[in-house]
Amino acid sequence: MNPSPEPWVWIAAFLTLCIFSFLFRDNIFYSFAEHLFVGISAGYLIAITWHNQIYPNLVMPLFMQGNLVYIIPFALGLCYFTRFIPKIGYLVRLPIAFLLGWGSGVGIPALFQRDILKQTQGTLLIREAFSKWDTGLWAIIILIGVLSVLIYFFFSKERKGIMKPAANLGIIFLMLGFGASFGYTVMSRISLLIGRLQFLLGDWLGIIK
Amino acid sequence: MNIFKALTKIPRQIIFLVIALAVMFPLIVPLGLPVRVMPKSRQLFAAIDSLGPRSKPILISVDFDPQSMPELYPMLIALLRHCFARDIKVIIMNLWPQGPGLAEMALDVIPEEFDKKYGKDFAFLGYKFGVTAILLGMGDNIKGVFPVDYYGTPLDSIEITADIQNYDDLSLVVTLSSGDPGWRAWLLYAQSRYNANIGIGVTAVSAADVYPYVETGQVIGLLAGMKGAAEYEILVQSNGYSEKKRTAVQGMDAQSLGHLFIMIFIIIGNVGYFFSRRRSNSGRQK
Repeated sequence: MNPSPEPWVWIAAFLTLCIFSFLFRDNIFYSFAEHLFVGISAGYLIAITWHNQIYPNLVMPLFMQGNLVYIIPFALGLCYFTRFIPKIGYLVRLPIAFLLGWGSGVGIPALFQRDILKQTQGTLLIREAFSKWDTGLWAIIILIGVLSVLIYFFFSKERKGIMKPAANLGIIFLMLGFGASFGYTVMSRISLLIGRLQFLLGDWLGIIK
Repeated sequence: MNIFKALTKIPRQIIFLVIALAVMFPLIVPLGLPVRVMPKSRQLFAAIDSLGPRSKPILISVDFDPQSMPELYPMLIALLRHCFARDIKVIIMNLWPQGPGLAEMALDVIPEEFDKKYGKDFAFLGYKFGVTAILLGMGDNIKGVFPVDYYGTPLDSIEITADIQNYDDLSLVVTLSSGDPGWRAWLLYAQSRYNANIGIGVTAVSAADVYPYVETGQVIGLLAGMKGAAEYEILVQSNGYSEKKRTAVQGMDAQSLGHLFIMIFIIIGNVGYFFSRRRSNSGRQK
């Protein structure tokens, strides 16, 4: 065992143990660490936004280089603060309307391209998919999975005849998907525990190298 | 209380303790369980391995915070080692405000291992708020979005960023992402709109969501969670690029044992539930 001489490592270890203490029950050490985290995060976010965003992208070009075009985003940004003055509070709608209009215009076509066109294209059975027997088999399974899940979510027709087994097959595919997601979630959470234990046993106590 | 009922009511503190011990043991006494490299990790490795000193730089977006470090930080380290060993130029940026500290932590150590110099071999652009404007703006003019690097030096006066205009001047973008903004935004704007080559490293919890995009070829390779990081570490080491410590590989024994005990607890819980319900049903029938 070779404990770290670094005071920051000891503070980090103490805070880790404070958070872990919640596993037993809620207590003052956990609350202390939680509040400290929230406060530091907020302060850090403000400082980094000023240094990385507002100063180089607004203050510098507008006030130091005299680029007057930047008055427009500056004015739109200021409109958000009119929420604090009820008489002119309606001005906040201007930047919100701008952001909504611009965001929808930019986002909808890209979303359509990413999630619908290319995904549909990927579901189609094309000749290249059958260059190997296993890729061909997976292509067929994916197609069956997509169609059966779509049938499961098709509510405009009563589930009778072919619709019923197809929808039931859709449920199986959905459950497989949920199972994979849940398995990955467990893996993710265990990874977080491993990370903290590597820190406590390695960086702090020096038991592992 | 019968034994089956007791199995469904194991105190959670005991479960936590057993899992903690199961995870801790292999960290102290490594078991050396094998880690098989999956094709999706191999694809990303091959894409980077095909580049060299004359290739355009790679952009790595460090889009995670300290919470996701156990999964994504080893990926960052392994990617940097791979790039620097191949003499590939690297540009780093962040979409998460907590990212700069983590990126700097890696850049303080890894370039030194390969004798790489800031400005000549790598550059750090830092963090910017407003993901849509950033990623769309970078498709047009990267220097418009990042006029200066993280340390305030204009991009025009940095050797590897001086001639960079947009995504066309990057050979690959790799996002190490633990949520939003992250891989979804990179695919939405950089890939769908500007056809940038995207590689993704995600926390395991997001991995199932990324698979459809890998299957369609929208993503060139995927590293999923600590397992993905361990696979990349193995690829980097087995190809002779680095002999340094492999944090994620070290964690995989613990991961396996942790999973084993969770499965045992799930089975115990279900056996207890099934038999205690059967017993109470048969009691009611009598």
